[in-house]
Amino acid sequence: MPQAKQRAEAAMAATDTSWNARGELEVLTFDIGGETLALEATMVREILDLLPETLVPGAPALVRHVVNFRGRIVPVADLRLAFAMEAGETTADSRIVVIELPIDGEPTLIGLRTDHVREVATLNAGASEEAPAVGMRWQRDYVRRLVRWRDDLIILPDLTAIFAAVLSPRS
Amino acid sequence: MTEDPTATFRVEAGELLDQVEQGLLDLGHRLGDMALVNAVFRGLHTLKGSGAMFGFDALAAFTHHCESAFDRVRKGEVPATAELVSVILSARDHMAALVDGAAPQAEGDAILARLAAAVEAARGGGAPAEAAPVGAQQGVRLFFRLPADAMANGTNPLMLLDELRELGEAEVRVRTDTLPPLGALVPNECHLGWDVTLRGDITREAIEDVFIFVMDDMTLEIAPLGDAAPAGVVPVAETPPATTIAAVAPVAAPAIVASAAVSPAVENVRVPADRLDALMDRVGELVIAQSRLSQLANNRHDLLLRSVTEDIERLSGELRDTMMVLRMVPVSSLFGRFRRLIHDLARDTGKAIELQTSGETTEVDKTVIERLFDPLVHIIRNSCDHGLESPADRIAAGKSETGLVRLSAHQAGGEVLITIVDDGRGIDRERVRAKGEANGLIEPGQQIADDELLGLIFHPGFSTAAQVTNLSGRGVGMDVVKRTIESLRGAINVASEPGKGSTITLRIPLTLAIIEGLLVRVGESRYVIPLSAVEECLELSLEDDLRSRGHSLITLRDRLVPFVRLRDLFSTGTRPDPHQKIVVVATGRERVGLVVDQIIGNHQTVIKSLSAFHRGVGSFSGATILGDGNVALILDVAQLVAMAQPREETLRAAS
Amino acid sequence: MTASILTVDDSASLRMAIRIALTGAGYAVTEAVDGADGLAKATGTRFDLIVTDLNMPNMDGLSMIRALRQQPAQAGVPIIFLSTESDAEMKAQAKAAGATGWLVKPFQPDQLIRVAQKVLGK
Repeated sequence: MPQAKQRAEAAMAATDTSWNARGELEVLTFDIGGETLALEATMVREILDLLPETLVPGAPALVRHVVNFRGRIVPVADLRLAFAMEAGETTADSRIVVIELPIDGEPTLIGLRTDHVREVATLNAGASEEAPAVGMRWQRDYVRRLVRWRDDLIILPDLTAIFAAVLSPRS
Repeated sequence: MTEDPTATFRVEAGELLDQVEQGLLDLGHRLGDMALVNAVFRGLHTLKGSGAMFGFDALAAFTHHCESAFDRVRKGEVPATAELVSVILSARDHMAALVDGAAPQAEGDAILARLAAAVEAARGGGAPAEAAPVGAQQGVRLFFRLPADAMANGTNPLMLLDELRELGEAEVRVRTDTLPPLGALVPNECHLGWDVTLRGDITREAIEDVFIFVMDDMTLEIAPLGDAAPAGVVPVAETPPATTIAAVAPVAAPAIVASAAVSPAVENVRVPADRLDALMDRVGELVIAQSRLSQLANNRHDLLLRSVTEDIERLSGELRDTMMVLRMVPVSSLFGRFRRLIHDLARDTGKAIELQTSGETTEVDKTVIERLFDPLVHIIRNSCDHGLESPADRIAAGKSETGLVRLSAHQAGGEVLITIVDDGRGIDRERVRAKGEANGLIEPGQQIADDELLGLIFHPGFSTAAQVTNLSGRGVGMDVVKRTIESLRGAINVASEPGKGSTITLRIPLTLAIIEGLLVRVGESRYVIPLSAVEECLELSLEDDLRSRGHSLITLRDRLVPFVRLRDLFSTGTRPDPHQKIVVVATGRERVGLVVDQIIGNHQTVIKSLSAFHRGVGSFSGATILGDGNVALILDVAQLVAMAQPREETLRAAS
Repeated sequence: MTASILTVDDSASLRMAIRIALTGAGYAVTEAVDGADGLAKATGTRFDLIVTDLNMPNMDGLSMIRALRQQPAQAGVPIIFLSTESDAEMKAQAKAAGATGWLVKPFQPDQLIRVAQKVLGK
């Protein structure tokens, strides 16, 4: 199917996602605010039950709390705020997904609050598409790509952009 | 746990290279000093010997040439000249690169050429020097043959040859002498051998790594190439390197003057830095567990338990103090590196610069030392580039021709003070003002106190210099320096007299990792206030609280002290505790009262740093983990004090 | 052309880790869960490289390697085995069975990739 191949090539050409030579990407899928998101499995360090959180007064809304993760102070991010989703209740399925991401050049541990962690999956570049220019309720540069997987449309968020936006307003 | 001999060699080589460098720098000032010549020669000799022992063949070969050249000076055949010293200094840098395994061959050849020329010049011409054959052929000649079944078992000789080609310039020739006749040839079997000539910095290690999977079954012969032979075949019997290295150290030390104060006959144990860090982490965790134990014990009326808990508190405190001391390192190592910097800066700027140091034995936490390096380099560069005048200008100004940079360190209270003084032209106020106005930091004609004016140089993007030097790939500027110093919870101050010079003072607290803290509660959260900043604690009665609604000042022994309601600052949305407390904290001359709901008590605080997201949030300098596993943020007293100040001034002005 | 690698290991997580590392480096990976499965998957086709554990149920690594080397079609296929420590005895046995090289566990992903590049070329 030439169209899928074109899509795959376009997806792979975009440098922010490292699809492998066969156009595949190993990801962890999880639910937030009713949507399913995915992140590269390689950046996931651990999946934790909810921990007691400490508020950091004056911190940006997206990363308002920190937790004690094995003796390290790890910020916890609420991606719902990045995607203008409504805050929800925590349930027995809620988890914190600890990822490692370079922030300001240093590898940084960040906890992401999730409603439900699903599974490790293989996404296909051919099944992905760019976020539409209009008509999407999320900020476009926060989304790397949308990927069809089983019956869902999964969001591949651009964490670098989301967190850069958090860091820059401060002087 | 087995020690890695190569790693040990690297550490010792590093020390030898430092000693050789210091010796050369001293020799540069005293060219006739034979004791220094001998010391440098011995250092080079040892490096060559142990280098060969541990397989650093390229290092050994290169060092051999330098050692030969220096031997001639030692024997008196050739006098030491400034040029010779300068070349050997470059050679030393190349040797350091060889130890690290990242040294371009061409650079080494160029240095050896300069060395030959320098020796020639020192001799005053005549017969060509035998030292340092230029463009020495470095490399190996090897032959290998694989077992017959190697290919059937998945070994591909072509891959091996490709790997060899990556090591250097290669010439490959096949040997077919053991090929059976065609009728008897089994196609899967390997009956070929290969001669490979490799040119370049080829180590035995690298070759053996290529053949690692077939090493046990194959034939492999390696011989060094050309007359770089001495490297590969330095007789091991030469002098056991261990004792030689030890011997060089104490003997060289008295000869190498003005280097670190070496106390004779002190027994030392070498500990890898990461083991010390691991130990430090354990001590930190012990402190947390001990504070938790103390909390529990205090809630019980078990006298025996309390007594043991007190013992543990005391022991853990002593252990903590001992750890602090273990991590302390004299600043001499830092100052030593600057001698080379000044030497190079003097050469680059064409100015005569002298470096004086004092207080080298002052000790600082080892992590602080490392982080001070870049800021200090920047400050010294500034002094040399912009502060110090050219020799002509200095003479015209009635100063001595040689500019002076003085580095000193001493401990005062819980801090280390490091000052950098230069006797140059001082900071040009007009230029600073002009730059400040151009950057919109001040209005033209705005009245501004002198120390505030000088403080402008710490603003990002502010640089009165046209050039921007790039240190270690990171951005520079006094703003970066300031931020680095502040990240060490220190402070930086600039004083300058036009025409006379400038003084930069750094104050760094002695301990980084663990501090005594005061644990307080504001609303439902707990925070830690560094106890060293706390002056006193007072009650804030409900009436006083209501009375001071409009203004946040409290009279404290006839002085007006501004205070900050942390409940408001942190927007807790909770109601004030009926018995609020004011914790009066101070930095320098200024103080502020912090209103909290409850003072919980003292807490030994192991400081954990915050992520990039929270580092800049104004009021917090870090976080800690409490006995119950929860996180408490540590208040940044300096920021809070600064935040409170303007209000005090405007209020005073208004009243 | 993408090189194809067969990984044989009874540990699912180790298989996953190896797969992620190798696919990340651009190789195509097929998995087998034990020696018998590995033998079955390799027979009749030709992988560019086989990476196998030794300690597995249902036919251990050494037996699988010996069986593979009996097949003329497998001649020359590099087989890398995972060894739990620098065990000279084990290495000798594996080499005698027909293995090409080894990788010591635990290993970092880039070490695995380096070994793959070593036997497959870059």
